[in-house]
Amino acid sequence: MLKALPIIARSHMVERPVRTAMTILGIALGVAVSVAIRTANVEVLRSFEEAVLTVAGRATLQVSGGELGLDERVIARLRNEPGVLSALPVVQQQAQVAALPHRGKPLVVMGLDLLDAADHRTFHLKTEAGTEPTLDPLLEPNAVFIGARLAEEWSLQAGSQIDLLVGTVTHRLVVRGVVESSTGVRTAWEHLAVMDIAAAQSLFGSIGKIDRIDLITDPAHPVEEVADAIKPRLPPPLTVRRPEQRNEQVERMVRAFQLNLATLSGVGLLVGLLLVYNTIAYSVVRHRREIGILRALGLSRLGITTLFVGEAAVMGLIGGVAGSLFGVLLANRLVLSLSRTVFDLYVPVRVAADGLASVTPALLIEGGLFGLVVAMLGACAPSMDASRTAPAQALAPGEYEDTQVFRAGPLAWFGGGCLVLAGLLALPGPVGGLSLFGYASAFCLLLGLSCLAPLLVYGVGTLVTGKDRAERRRVGALGLIAAEQIARAPGRNAVTVSALMVGIAIMIGVGIMIQSFRQTVEAWIDQTVMADLVVATPGWPTGEEGGMHAKRMPLAWAARAAAVPGVAAVDTYRDLTVEIAGRPVSLVSRDLRVHAERSRYLFVNGDSAELLPRTVTARGVVISEVLAGRLGVREGSMLTMMTPAGDRSFPVIGVFYDYATDGGKLVMDRSLYRTLWDDDTTTVIAVYLALGVEAGVVRQRLADAMGQVGQIVVIANREIKREILAIFDRTFAVTYALEFIAVAIALLGIVNTLLTSVLERQREMATLRAIGASAGQIRRLVLWEGLYLGLLGACLGVVGGVSLSFLLIHVINKQSFGWTIQFQFPVWLVVEGVALAVGAALVASYVPALWAARQPIVDGLRYE
Amino acid sequence: MVRLNHVSKEYRRDEAAVAALRDVSLRVAEGEFCALMGPSGCGKSTLLNIVAGLDHPTSGELFLEERPTSHLSDREWTGLRRSLIGMVFQSFHLLPTLTAEDNVALPLLLQGENGRSARRRAAESLARVGMEPRARHRPGELSGGEQQRVAIARALVHRPRLLLADEPTGNLDSRSGADVIALLQSLSKELKQTVLLVTHSQEAAYAADRLHTMRDGQLDGAT
Repeated sequence: MLKALPIIARSHMVERPVRTAMTILGIALGVAVSVAIRTANVEVLRSFEEAVLTVAGRATLQVSGGELGLDERVIARLRNEPGVLSALPVVQQQAQVAALPHRGKPLVVMGLDLLDAADHRTFHLKTEAGTEPTLDPLLEPNAVFIGARLAEEWSLQAGSQIDLLVGTVTHRLVVRGVVESSTGVRTAWEHLAVMDIAAAQSLFGSIGKIDRIDLITDPAHPVEEVADAIKPRLPPPLTVRRPEQRNEQVERMVRAFQLNLATLSGVGLLVGLLLVYNTIAYSVVRHRREIGILRALGLSRLGITTLFVGEAAVMGLIGGVAGSLFGVLLANRLVLSLSRTVFDLYVPVRVAADGLASVTPALLIEGGLFGLVVAMLGACAPSMDASRTAPAQALAPGEYEDTQVFRAGPLAWFGGGCLVLAGLLALPGPVGGLSLFGYASAFCLLLGLSCLAPLLVYGVGTLVTGKDRAERRRVGALGLIAAEQIARAPGRNAVTVSALMVGIAIMIGVGIMIQSFRQTVEAWIDQTVMADLVVATPGWPTGEEGGMHAKRMPLAWAARAAAVPGVAAVDTYRDLTVEIAGRPVSLVSRDLRVHAERSRYLFVNGDSAELLPRTVTARGVVISEVLAGRLGVREGSMLTMMTPAGDRSFPVIGVFYDYATDGGKLVMDRSLYRTLWDDDTTTVIAVYLALGVEAGVVRQRLADAMGQVGQIVVIANREIKREILAIFDRTFAVTYALEFIAVAIALLGIVNTLLTSVLERQREMATLRAIGASAGQIRRLVLWEGLYLGLLGACLGVVGGVSLSFLLIHVINKQSFGWTIQFQFPVWLVVEGVALAVGAALVASYVPALWAARQPIVDGLRYE
Repeated sequence: MVRLNHVSKEYRRDEAAVAALRDVSLRVAEGEFCALMGPSGCGKSTLLNIVAGLDHPTSGELFLEERPTSHLSDREWTGLRRSLIGMVFQSFHLLPTLTAEDNVALPLLLQGENGRSARRRAAESLARVGMEPRARHRPGELSGGEQQRVAIARALVHRPRLLLADEPTGNLDSRSGADVIALLQSLSKELKQTVLLVTHSQEAAYAADRLHTMRDGQLDGAT
């Protein structure tokens, strides 16, 4: 008997090819999104890791001075440490191409000891003639070797000139050859530029300073042991760590962000699961007589369950494999967008165009398994239902849906319980910086509302078709028949409503969160970004520069800016990334008295005008709420951090709202900063204008005056605000794409449900035609049904969406990122959600409606 | 009222053509109760479907009230079914979730008649077939004979001049079947309706004014 199951399952699938295809498509879309996000997330981290590890070569430890670099004399000290075989100096500068045709594109220039490099690095240099370069071109002051792939992409060859912008200076380099990977596989080297370290120091104006030292340790000594031995001898704030640790640090930083996306991508799978539930539940209804016959012939309950779960499993497997193929295509689009977000918010990371994911057997197996599990989970309940039906009952028509009506009550109670649980799960704090209970709460919320759907479908259907004659007249004959049809199969229709609810709830919930977040950020910018103009290096607005020489100007330039007529005051703003408790934190130093007078921080408690001067006098710091939350400090606490002058503790004077960084921000007065850090540069100069002066005129004057000393840009206040919001919108672009796919899968559910409903009711439709219904009326009848489903899905979706937005704002985002978001209720978003649900339901109903109206009446009357 | 002029109907199954009607000519006068009898598959239901515009002849012409129908559009056929034609089916074809009253009112509602008036007329139609007390019951709560009475009430509610009945007693026991035929007979007289009845029950056929027999898609003769 069991051998017959594949034949029977196949006949079920072939019997309704469109329905089978749509279910497979739904699973494929869900799996594709999930695979795409996972692959893209992994790819972004892998690209970062690849870049770090390739460049590190054989180095087992790296000594770094952070953004300010370190004194090269440390090398000599390190070379004599036991266990250290070699200490290799590195200058690593991310520059921007200054001239066309590649203006604005980033290029990482590695300054290395080229005489030594070949022994320790995984690349070799080649001249145009294909030979190794001789000493002269190698050590030439402006000579650069370009990664082979990059040289090909940018059409560079020996003798080509390339202008690079670093900080406020443009440097002209001459290409002397290419860099090729010596491992035979493409590596990060083929996208970099390499030059001699002495030439790089001279060119960038940092004689005696380097970015880091790569150490090759003796294999006979454990690496950690060597690191522990070196640590105490290094001057603060130098750090020593394995190259992999940098990667682990980034992984920790982006973990919450990636989990957020992964969870959202799971919604597609959830909706796909509901689609499978629907398909199998309907297959069970349709084949209930067959179930009765099979049971009568001796097939066990387990056999019946296996039959339907197997049917789903085949669809899941096909959908999963197809989904993973599509997922890879999607991932390759997503990865660029995600890497840009990670770049904007966390660390510089670049995914090379040839480093994208490809289809591998492992990925296909993974996708197939994903689809299989989702489909089997979706099929579990209806398959078990089928197996529980007694043979006699299975042979009697109508029983299945009737029992479902009675189950709507207990299911609603269960749903209510889930909603209570959702509320309780919102209370505990995060686990390891991740809002695990928050996600569980969101899941319970959607599950709870899904369980209420059958009662709602049945209740509304009964209400419309009930004894209230006024109500019946209002909906008309077609509305009445449609409502009765919906209420007749609450199980099947409720699942469709649930799928739509999930899609709409996610859309509205995430939409409200993003809008609230955006408005909070806008209000924050309006209240805190007060400088009329900002003088910065050309690379600052794009964020495409990095390294010791990027994004900094001499502090003395502030006086030049202050002297420009029409300028009332200037504030120097230095932004440096330092490490606190193992995570990067933005350390800002500025003239806090000027800031108190002209601008402000939005403090959680207290007033900016009072707290900032106190910060100066108390030689304290103010910190962002994200950092306060992460370190567990508050106003009045002491905060200890490593400075070049050693460990120092600072009183925390205030905690302010800040949405500029995910890692947190610490602000101190410029005077305090200069006593501890040997840094007389500024990242930007904030300029406040005198009353009544024309901003455009002063802007030009500033550009002229500052342009005499270096390359700068003058940016207007509104341009900065626009750029911050552009980064914000870019960050959430992927989110919108994910929502869209979840709604698309839900719509497949509607088409699926209506098409099946129409197929099953051919006789009813034909009867209506025979007693006088026009083809148009049959079309409208099906559209009515779609409308009911859309409206019910929208109603639940609005409830779910608004509740979800509370969870996202007050629990999940707060716990994951630490940001306080002011809840805003954009009515238009809810209206848009409802309109989309209803509109999309009508669009999805259109094909079944057309189909229904075109069926020959005679065939329908014969149909059994 | 109804005139079929050399009507043939072929169905294509794969490559082969199956003839359901072969050169059938028939005339049913206004107010006449005409029965078609024959074994299963002889083409009598096909003939009835063609008269109702649910199916169309491969060749020949159907005239309704002396007007040719071959050029009629789907919309015009819908109009005829709303005004001229009423249909009764072997399997009743009542909508299971609607009450008897709603089922009967349905043709009127589909024509756009307001609910109050449609239900009033439905109640009258149900009264005519003796089903008024069961107006609020759904089909599942009615016996086969009762369901067929409701179906007849539905077929009559818009006062059609032509009533087409396809095996109306086929799913009923003999007593219920006899009741239904008697009802059709009396209504035909009372309302001066033309009735075309398709059946393979001799008892039903004998109630007709004229009886035609069919075999292999052709009319054998009339009595």
